[in-house]
Amino acid sequence: MREDCKKDFKRLSEYLDGELDPDVCREIEQHFRDCPECRECVESMRKTIQLCKEAAMEEIPADARERLISMLRECFGRTHTE
Amino acid sequence: MNETVTDPVDHRLISEFKAGSMEAMEKIVERYEDRIFTFGLKMCGHLQDAEDIAQETFLNAFKYLKDFREETKLKNWLFRIAATACIRKRRKKKCEPDQEISLESFVPQNGDDVKYEIPDWSDDPSDNMLRAELKDVIDDAIQSLSHKYRLVFNLRDIEGFSTQETADILNISTQSVKTQLHRARLFLREKISTSYKEGFVQ
Repeated sequence: MREDCKKDFKRLSEYLDGELDPDVCREIEQHFRDCPECRECVESMRKTIQLCKEAAMEEIPADARERLISMLRECFGRTHTE
Repeated sequence: MNETVTDPVDHRLISEFKAGSMEAMEKIVERYEDRIFTFGLKMCGHLQDAEDIAQETFLNAFKYLKDFREETKLKNWLFRIAATACIRKRRKKKCEPDQEISLESFVPQNGDDVKYEIPDWSDDPSDNMLRAELKDVIDDAIQSLSHKYRLVFNLRDIEGFSTQETADILNISTQSVKTQLHRARLFLREKISTSYKEGFVQ
């Protein structure tokens, strides 16, 4: 891996998160235009983040929710109404 | 600084709870239960552990809500409690120390022909089986992350907290958040791509 590729590889996440200065971003984007390997690298990172996010959300099961609410009612119902 | 940054709906519900409303308590739970449960599940990997995390989080939250000064968002405060619960649970289980992820191991070497195949997530309900298999691959990859990387990844990429918010929740520096997040993402990309290539998902 070339030195400029290595440098951008290390700051890929900050680039994707928009945490770099605009000048640095422009420099990185210029590099991506000229370097298919790094372009592929950033795209696969972006897809990984997107995929994990889209597949992540769960719902608390109904019985677990019921137990949670009755435990909270038990603990706070009395203290609150006294 | 006493500026209230809590969401207006949360602010109202907190006031109602402090005034004795059980309905407000349940509405707060309803607003955050799925997120806290998801976080617990992604952190611990088991339904029972996720339920324990949700119970401990809300129990402590309502116990100390009278002291909550609304200088941070309720969501951030709840996740701080949840993260502490996950760390405590891990300590109780006497798990192995965190394995460090080295950045160098992911730097492609000269001559490497590295191609990562990351599938797309389908929103089509007819792809249910494919989605279930892919979800297993993703969950397994996230579970393989060492605990400290998993904490940062879940807070940043799954829950969408900013770098600063994540640093505040975990009480670590923003630089540590950035470093750990980058390594976690590289690890997950490698793991998901390898599983995909090996044919877990076809």
